Amino acid sequence: MKKSIKNVFVLVSICAVVSVLLAITNAVTAPIIAENERASANAALLEVMPDGGSFTSVALDGYTLPATVTEAYLGENGGYVFKLKTVGYSSGFVIMCGVNADGTVSGAVCLASTETLGHEKTFGALLTGKTAENIDAVDTVSGATKTTGAYRAAVKDALNAALILGGGSVDIRTEEEILRDRLTAALPAAQGEFEKLFITESLDGVDAVYAAVNRTGYVLVIGDAFVATDLDGHVITKETAQDETAETAMAALLASELSPITLDAYEGLPSQLVSASRTATGNYDLVIKGAGYGIAGGSAYHPASGEYIYIRVSLTRDGRILDCLTLSQAETDGIGSACADESFYGQFVGKTEETYGEIDAIGGATYTTDGYKQAILRAFACVKIFEGGVES
Amino acid sequence: MKKDGYLSILTKGVFKENPVFILILGTCPTLATTTNVVGAFGMGIAALVVLLCSNVLISLLRKVIPDAVRIPCYITIIAGFVTVVQMVVQAYFPDLYEMLGVYLALIVVNCIILGRAEMFASKNTVGKSALDGIGMGLGFTLALCAMATVREVFGAASFAGMEIAFLAPYKIEFLVKAPGGMLVYGLLIALVSALTHGKGPKKKSFACAGCPSAAHCHTGACQSGKEEA
Repeated sequence: MKKSIKNVFVLVSICAVVSVLLAITNAVTAPIIAENERASANAALLEVMPDGGSFTSVALDGYTLPATVTEAYLGENGGYVFKLKTVGYSSGFVIMCGVNADGTVSGAVCLASTETLGHEKTFGALLTGKTAENIDAVDTVSGATKTTGAYRAAVKDALNAALILGGGSVDIRTEEEILRDRLTAALPAAQGEFEKLFITESLDGVDAVYAAVNRTGYVLVIGDAFVATDLDGHVITKETAQDETAETAMAALLASELSPITLDAYEGLPSQLVSASRTATGNYDLVIKGAGYGIAGGSAYHPASGEYIYIRVSLTRDGRILDCLTLSQAETDGIGSACADESFYGQFVGKTEETYGEIDAIGGATYTTDGYKQAILRAFACVKIFEGGVES
Repeated sequence: MKKDGYLSILTKGVFKENPVFILILGTCPTLATTTNVVGAFGMGIAALVVLLCSNVLISLLRKVIPDAVRIPCYITIIAGFVTVVQMVVQAYFPDLYEMLGVYLALIVVNCIILGRAEMFASKNTVGKSALDGIGMGLGFTLALCAMATVREVFGAASFAGMEIAFLAPYKIEFLVKAPGGMLVYGLLIALVSALTHGKGPKKKSFACAGCPSAAHCHTGACQSGKEEA
C-alpha cells in the first residue's frame, strides 16, 4: 500500500512539474507564435497591397456588400484588401484584391481556381491601377470571356465594397440587376421574370424586346425608355413619345409568322430532326422523332410497332425548353404509351441540356423513356447548330 | 555496464555506439527528415536537446522514481521536453517547424531517447548522463546529416538548399523519395559496419539489456541461447 502511494505520488509530482514547465514555455512562446501566424497571413495580403503595412480584419456585419466579398482587411495605408469568391466558366475561383485609399486597384491575384484556360492567373495584372469608373473598359480575354468577365466584375465589386466600407453609398447592383429592376418597374405584373426575345426582323427604333415569362406582356426598350405592352401589343400606360413606336413594332412582331428553317442549309443536324422553325420572338420550334420501344425494343410478347415517337419541342435560343408535346406514338399500350401524357412530357418544360435528365422515368418503360430523352438531347444539339455553335 | 571514462562516454555515442548506424534506433525520423540537410540538422539538434534534458532530469530523479512507474515517468518527462522544444522551434524557427512537421512531436516516441533513459541515465550520475545525452545526440545529428547530405546532393542536386549547378542534370530523384531513403540508409549501415568491423559493440551489450522490458523479461526469448541476457 505504502509503495503504491509512493508510485502515485512520484508520477503525479512529475506530471505537475512538467505541466508548470510547459505553462511557462507556453506563456513565453504563445505570443511569438501568434505573431508569426499573423505575419504569414499578412504576407499574403501584402502581395496585393505592398504598402499596406499591417492589416486588421474588418467585420462585415452591418454592411450591404456585393455577394462576392467574403473577407475584408484594412491596411495601415487606409486601403482595403478583399477576399472575393466568384464563378467563372467552371466551379468558381477565389481572388485577393487590394483597393487603395484613393479607389484604385493595388493588385489582384487568384488564389485557387479550376478554370479551364488559366487566364485567371494573369488577368489580375491588367486590372491594377483601375478605378470603379474605368475598370469596365478593360477588355475580357477572347476565348475566356466568362472567366475574365467574372474576374473583372469581382474586382469591381471590391472597388465598390471599399467605397461602402469607407462610408460611401454605391449602387452595387449588377448590370443585369439594374436591367431587371427597370423592366419590373415598367411591367410589375411580370414579377421580375423576363426573357429577351430574339428579333429576326429589324423593328424601327426598338433596341430590344423582353417578354414576361409569366405571359403578362412585353417590355420594349426604345432608346432610354422602357415601354410595357399587353400580350396584344397595346401600350399599357400611355405617357411617352415612344408609345406609338412601341405599338407599331409590336403589331409587326405579332403579325409575323413562324419562319421555317431550311434544314439542308445546316451541316451536322441529326437525321431524327423532322422539321424546324424560328418563331417571331426568336425561339425554336422543332419536331423530332425518338426511337422508343417501337423501334429499339420488341420481344415475343410485345412486338415492336416500328413507329417512332414524334415530339414537338419549343426551345429558347440558349437551349431552354419552353414547351414539349408528344405528337404521336405507338409504344406498348398502357406502359410506354404514358409518354403521350402531359404528366410525362410536361416535365421537360423549363429544362436545359444540363437538367433534362432529372425527369421521372415512365415505370416499366425504359426504352420509351430513354428514346424520348435521347430525342430531347438531340433537340438541344439542333438549337446549338442553328445558333452557329459546333456540335457533332 | 563497464566503467567508462568521461571522454569515452561522449565519443561512443558519436562513433562506437552511434544510435542510427550501430544501434539502429530512431529509424523513422532518420528516414523521414533526411531529404534535406537543414531539416536533418534541425531534427538532430532538437533530439539532442530533448536527450540532454531528459537524461539529466531522469538521472537526477533516478533514486526517487519507483521501478514500477518508471516508464510512465520517463515518457512524461520526455514528452514535456519535446513539447517545450516544439513550442520554442515554432516560435523562433517557424520555417524549420514547417519542414519537420509531425516528426518534431514524434521525438517523444524516438527509441533513442527512451532507450538512453532506460539504459544509461537511470543508472548513472548526472554528469555522465549529460555527456551520454550530448554524445548520443551528436551521433544522431551527424548520422542524419550524413544521410541527408547523400540524399540531398545526389537526389536534389543541392546542399542545405543551395543549388549545385553541375549536378543538376544528373540528380537521382529516387533518393529523396522514401525507398531511396531506405537504400541510402542500408548502404550507410553497411559502410559503417565495414569501417568498424570488430570494433563495434557486441550485440549482447545492447540487444536485450537495452530493451525497456528487460527487467521483466525472464525468458530471454529474443536472445540467442549462447548469450546471456
